[in-house]
Amino acid sequence: MSYLNSLKELINTLNWSKELLVEIFEKRKQFAYKYDHAIELLPEDKIEILISKHILSRNGSYLEIEDQFQQFFEQILEVNEEINTSYINENIQQVKQLINYYLQENNEHRKYTYLKQIKASLRKIRRITLRNVIDLNRNIENAFKTEPNYGIKIAKLESFDDKRRTVYQLIEQTDKLVTEDEITFFTTALDEELKQVVIILRAQLTESRHNLIETQKQIIEYLNQVKYQSSVQEKIKQIKYLKDQFELKAKTNLSSILKEKNDVMFETRPVYPLKMSLDYLQTDDGRQQIEKVYSKLKKGKKNVMQIAESIASDDLLPQTETEIFIDLEELKRGFNASSRHLFNFVMEYKYPREVNYEEKITIFCQMVSIFENELEIKDNYQQDEQIEYAIVTTKN
Amino acid sequence: MQTSNKYTADIFEHLSKGKFICSNSVEMNNSKLYNVVDEDFDRLYNYFLAIGFVLERGDEYFYFSRPETKATLESKIEQAYKWVDVVDFFMSFDNGFAPGFRFTSSDVQQQVKVDANLKDKLEIMKRMTGEGSYAERINSLIKSQLVTPGYAELENELSNQYKVMSSFNYIKQLIVSIQIQEEVANEIPE
Repeated sequence: MSYLNSLKELINTLNWSKELLVEIFEKRKQFAYKYDHAIELLPEDKIEILISKHILSRNGSYLEIEDQFQQFFEQILEVNEEINTSYINENIQQVKQLINYYLQENNEHRKYTYLKQIKASLRKIRRITLRNVIDLNRNIENAFKTEPNYGIKIAKLESFDDKRRTVYQLIEQTDKLVTEDEITFFTTALDEELKQVVIILRAQLTESRHNLIETQKQIIEYLNQVKYQSSVQEKIKQIKYLKDQFELKAKTNLSSILKEKNDVMFETRPVYPLKMSLDYLQTDDGRQQIEKVYSKLKKGKKNVMQIAESIASDDLLPQTETEIFIDLEELKRGFNASSRHLFNFVMEYKYPREVNYEEKITIFCQMVSIFENELEIKDNYQQDEQIEYAIVTTKN
Repeated sequence: MQTSNKYTADIFEHLSKGKFICSNSVEMNNSKLYNVVDEDFDRLYNYFLAIGFVLERGDEYFYFSRPETKATLESKIEQAYKWVDVVDFFMSFDNGFAPGFRFTSSDVQQQVKVDANLKDKLEIMKRMTGEGSYAERINSLIKSQLVTPGYAELENELSNQYKVMSSFNYIKQLIVSIQIQEEVANEIPE
């Protein structure tokens, strides 16, 4: 059931909605068209009418052209990318049927109608076949050049190869139809236009056939290229694996391959130390060159190394340094002779040089530790301003 | 035999260092040399053969080899090992790493950051790259292993973009031509 009452209505509807439809059609591959955007172009009630007539369909907040119309536009404008082989097949069947009716029909008028339909179908076959061949070529090239995944690329190319085979068969069938199968009809139907249509159709079919042979070559080449590429990758991975396992030399013929290769790039960079031409050095140019080199040499002259001054004889004589040393042995003897306790003695002793308090404490400690066995360390303690010390006396 | 060709010296200078002359070279001078060699191949071949170099024609590139071997097998194998690492690294960086491919060192750096496998490969190659940050190591890898031997050229100094030369096929071809013993090939995990 159609939602439109007449063709006139359809054309009129398309006319007033053309801006929106063109916009949606142009953007059909990029993004879903928003209902809100559509309102900007066309009043809302008009959009509702389009939806009710099933020209547009609403999908949530998006608008789409009904599939039927979209296909219709694509076919008319010859922009579809799908290769539809069943369509040709259908037309061939239809032509066969119509021929059947034509041959059985006696009424001239109705015969004429069938003839007209046959001609239309043949024209259609011609157009679709050519279209398919062109689309096929374009799709193959696209798949080869843009598909990054090798697996998918091969699968796509193979499926296009199948399509190509089907199209080729259909061309053969069509050719057979007009030359063999329905020979009675095509020889008896004396219509100038039909003859013309058939001639053009056959010329077109031949062209398409040639095109397809080229396409086949192309596909085979592409497939080989892709397979070669992926085999190269596979090989490189394998070699790398062996190399990482340190097995490359042992398990492949690498050594023998390299043995045969004498390429210069394996050699160390050669140098050619050539002698100057004596004849050249005699010329004016030569002299200039020599002067140039000489000036360079002069610049590069190193300074004579600085020599240090000789050492003065005074510095070689031995020098003496005097230090007054406090003799602890002497100190002990003095202590033994006195009747005082050690701390007091150390503090009051007349030293050969000036000795400060800290040093005196150190001397006290040294005395105690060195002559421990000859001294008696008592258990009672005394205190001066800063420290507390034990009473130490001579052993009796 | 007519031997005068104003490019002969340039060609010798270039090839005797173990470098390549590539058809897709960025340097105008270099790609011009390719055409010269291409047109005059037979004559140049005989000319260089007389002085102990064999002019070799590869797929869109030329190079020199010797009639008899001069390098030791050891050093050749060492070189080949390096190539395996380098080719594997750059092929893992991008499947399409082949002559004509363009890349910048920051492209590689980015990929290294997100791909642990690639990072691992870079770590292993420290012997070639030296120490340093990833950026430094990638730069030095590109310079020492691709640019200096002539497998890639700096195309755009501003964006630091490199272009892979057709000579890259030489190492790729060498690796592909290595035959693995059959039973070993089956043992290698996928």
